[in-house]
Amino acid sequence: MQQEVVLAMLAKEPSHGYELRARLARALGPVAEGINEAQMYVTLTRLEKGGFVARLDAPTQRSDRKVYCLTPAGQERVTEWMSDVSWPRPDLAEFHMKLIAAAQGALADPVSLIDAQRRDLLRRLREVGRAVMEEEKDSNAALLLEGIVLRLQADLRWLQACEIAWTKRSTPQ
Amino acid sequence: MNASPTVLVHAKGLRKEYGSGEGLVRALDAVDLDINRGEAVAVIGPSGCGKSTLLHLIGGLDRPSAGVLSVAGQRVDELSERALAHLRRDEIGFVFQAFHLMDELTAQENVELPALLAGCTPSEARARATALLEEVDLADRARHLPSMLSGGQRQRVAIARALANDPEIVLADEPTGNLDSASAFEVLGLLEGLHAKGLTLVIVTHDERIATTADRLISMRDGAFVDETRLTGGSRGNLSTFAEWERLS
Amino acid sequence: MRGRALLLTRLVRRDIRLHLAQAILLVVAIAVATATLTMALALNGVTNHPYAATRAATKGPDVVAYLTSPSQAKPLIQASEVAASNGPYPINSAVLHFDGHTAGALIEGRSEALAGIDRPEVLSGSWVRPGGVVLERTFAEALGVGVGGRVTLNSRSFEVAGIAVTAAQPPYPNLCWATAIASLPIKGGYETSVQGACVNLNFSAEGPRDVGLVWMTESNLLGLASKANPILDYALNIKLDDPAEAQAFADTHTFVSNGPVLSTWEGIATADALLVHDEQGVLKPGALLLALLAIASVAVLVGRRLSEYARRVGLLKAVGGTPSVVAATFLVENLALALFAAVVGLVVGWLASPLLTNPGAALIGTAGAPAISPSTILEVVGLAIVVALVASLVPAVRAARSSTVDAMNDMARPPRRRGILIRMSRKLPIPALFGLRLVARRPRRALLSAANVAVTVMGIVAVIAFHADVNSRVSTASGLTAGGLSDPVVNRDEQMLAVITIMLVALAVLNALFTTWASVLDARRSSALMRALGARARQVSSGLVVAQTLSALPGAIVGIPLGLGLFKATVKSGALPSPLWLIATVIGTLVAMAALTVVPARIGSMQSIVEVLQSEAA
Repeated sequence: MQQEVVLAMLAKEPSHGYELRARLARALGPVAEGINEAQMYVTLTRLEKGGFVARLDAPTQRSDRKVYCLTPAGQERVTEWMSDVSWPRPDLAEFHMKLIAAAQGALADPVSLIDAQRRDLLRRLREVGRAVMEEEKDSNAALLLEGIVLRLQADLRWLQACEIAWTKRSTPQ
Repeated sequence: MNASPTVLVHAKGLRKEYGSGEGLVRALDAVDLDINRGEAVAVIGPSGCGKSTLLHLIGGLDRPSAGVLSVAGQRVDELSERALAHLRRDEIGFVFQAFHLMDELTAQENVELPALLAGCTPSEARARATALLEEVDLADRARHLPSMLSGGQRQRVAIARALANDPEIVLADEPTGNLDSASAFEVLGLLEGLHAKGLTLVIVTHDERIATTADRLISMRDGAFVDETRLTGGSRGNLSTFAEWERLS
Repeated sequence: MRGRALLLTRLVRRDIRLHLAQAILLVVAIAVATATLTMALALNGVTNHPYAATRAATKGPDVVAYLTSPSQAKPLIQASEVAASNGPYPINSAVLHFDGHTAGALIEGRSEALAGIDRPEVLSGSWVRPGGVVLERTFAEALGVGVGGRVTLNSRSFEVAGIAVTAAQPPYPNLCWATAIASLPIKGGYETSVQGACVNLNFSAEGPRDVGLVWMTESNLLGLASKANPILDYALNIKLDDPAEAQAFADTHTFVSNGPVLSTWEGIATADALLVHDEQGVLKPGALLLALLAIASVAVLVGRRLSEYARRVGLLKAVGGTPSVVAATFLVENLALALFAAVVGLVVGWLASPLLTNPGAALIGTAGAPAISPSTILEVVGLAIVVALVASLVPAVRAARSSTVDAMNDMARPPRRRGILIRMSRKLPIPALFGLRLVARRPRRALLSAANVAVTVMGIVAVIAFHADVNSRVSTASGLTAGGLSDPVVNRDEQMLAVITIMLVALAVLNALFTTWASVLDARRSSALMRALGARARQVSSGLVVAQTLSALPGAIVGIPLGLGLFKATVKSGALPSPLWLIATVIGTLVAMAALTVVPARIGSMQSIVEVLQSEAA
């Protein structure tokens, strides 16, 4: 995700790394808090190596003053990404396997795992819920947070279904 | 745990059954619950799990089949109808999913209703109602009939009404159930505000988002508690985990 | 305290405004009931004690002495028990002719000035004057003569100056009932001699005696007298110190052979009552029927309101209203409506009862319009209060007992399931299926409907029976006397019956309207559901008609023996009407109920399905 995002942001105009990070922060809101400049530069370097991005600067300048821009290959990638409709998938399969492995290998009680995960998601939901309240209504950040809330709700529902199913399996019929 | 002034709701072995013989339905099955003053408790569960029944019992709208229930220091399971009514009037405020406003009264008159029932003079009741309507941001609709208000506005009037006699505890049964998301948002904000001021809240809902605004979240299924989560206390999480940014390898 | 009072008035005002149509209908129904009751009570008051009223208004005597000579007056006047006296007045008899009718006339000679005792109340025209005679009212009506007409007495012509009532003699045709008048010879061509009539009368016999009372000036009377028709009798009106001693006084001073013959006011009263006896026989059951019908209408409307109360009870309780406060809201509202209706009914009844009791309607009675006595007002207001109390009782009980949340969701009484009927109705066409299930769903409402129809049919059957009875009596007794005068007894019965019939029919129509309208409204949700599932509007309307007929039929059938029973209880020897009439009544009632159901059903089917389902569920 992040590579295409950075590329697309460069499509507007060539930018410094810190400018990109600032724009990201404005668009993502509190979700962007964990993203630091170092990570941004790592991504930019990778993109440069892949030939999607080029640097414009004088060789004597410090790294944080570099200005990055799109190469034609990068432009093409951006265009492709715009029309790409694959939707980010949550990794349910991993948790599903975790439960099965725990049951089969007697590693842990699946229902306890589910409860623990549920509690964690609930706490996260609470956090995001509060964050939504703090943002301005209809802002970019609020919109993103809303999406996260809804996904969490959906995941919680699935966890509830898991709980019912796994409880049934463990209680003798 | 002894009953202390800080325990506002105490239930032990609470049961509610309907019907008999083959048609017996156990809406609540031996539930124990303690709620402290100032706490916000959410009860979540699928429909038919008994969460509404629990709320109705706490609010004195129905009588338990068995068990001990005391609210604001009074034994609800032993009170007469009259005493229950006084309890509902003075200590408990109820917010319903279907609003249940009186269609023939204006917003202001609906909010005045509990105050007048409690014996306030008309001017006192009016002053209180005006202040409460301002708090819920409906001062300009005071003279409107419920039929002229949107769902969200009606629920806000209902909340103001629930606060009319300065209750100890506010019980909300699916308060946003009949509302669109924008109105639900407003109502949610109101409830959170009340909680911030120290009011004790019990909210019954199927919506996790509403539920996670509480301090404690109790999950119910088939008339019994299955899980309880403490949501406050503990460190603040890191929202950036949602961004899935690549770690430095 | 003030706050609660404000709350009550506010709730009452607002609720009435919100359900204005229903409130108005309830007021109308109660007003009709109270107006009916007012009129019935006024009628009853008038016919119950006409004599007492007449006696008071005309300063009637305690004892009337008939003397064969004026000298017999002195010992009577000087008796210690006598407080005052008037007369003696000369009495004569004559043959009266008017418009082809012939009758006997008993004539009293009076002064033009008003007397102190026995001051006949002139109802129209004026008192006696030279050439002008006054006739007793019932006599005048039987003859068909009015003020200004001319009658001949023993071939002398007189103008009718006025028409009056008195308490000193019983009215036509029972004039001579209490008196044994000795030696009243009459000359010339009249078959039943007045003497015979007055002396030998036995009033268990049938038919009127064509003798009536006439007043004229003493000089006119003396002029009528002749050698062939001398004045042989005098009347002396006596007032005693103690009216209760009248009979004892009469017994002491009566000498049957050629001496004074005394009649007491109690005796006159008894004769007086003979005329109204039959009327009462029609009035009492008639009033009962009217009251029943009126109450039935009110019951239907109140029943409708009860179903809306449940939600209000729950809501008020949830907000903290105690059972007594909740009960008070209903009580105050119902009382306000009922009392208002009672006042309206009283006023309407007061305005309308003169139509029934004044001369036009041939009721014996008197003096002025019947006053609405304080007891009438009390009874009418009492009825209204009872209605309000009963209507408020159900929600009050519910407030005290049922769980609040149930009341709010109005789950207190879910419809009953009758498996058999549901299975049975499956095979029927849609209208019948729907109708049958509607009735099975709410049997109590169907029962109320049936009761209403039963009361209506009971009324119609009783009225038909009374009509048949009166007609048969008219035909057997020829309705006319030998002299061609109309029988006042039969006349009165017919007129009283006509009045009651009209009121009954009006009430019956109102009752039918309320019942059918309420039934259709009760079935609103079911009707909308059926339409939503694909039934045509006409099928749904037909189903409602079926439901109405199913509950009306047993009611109509039950009403017949009830009506006949009521008739038999009052007219013991009455003949029952022919079965054809009864069958016609049942069919007619069923058809009327069906027709009245169609209109609201059609209107209901034009409403949007969604609106109905949503509003009922809210």
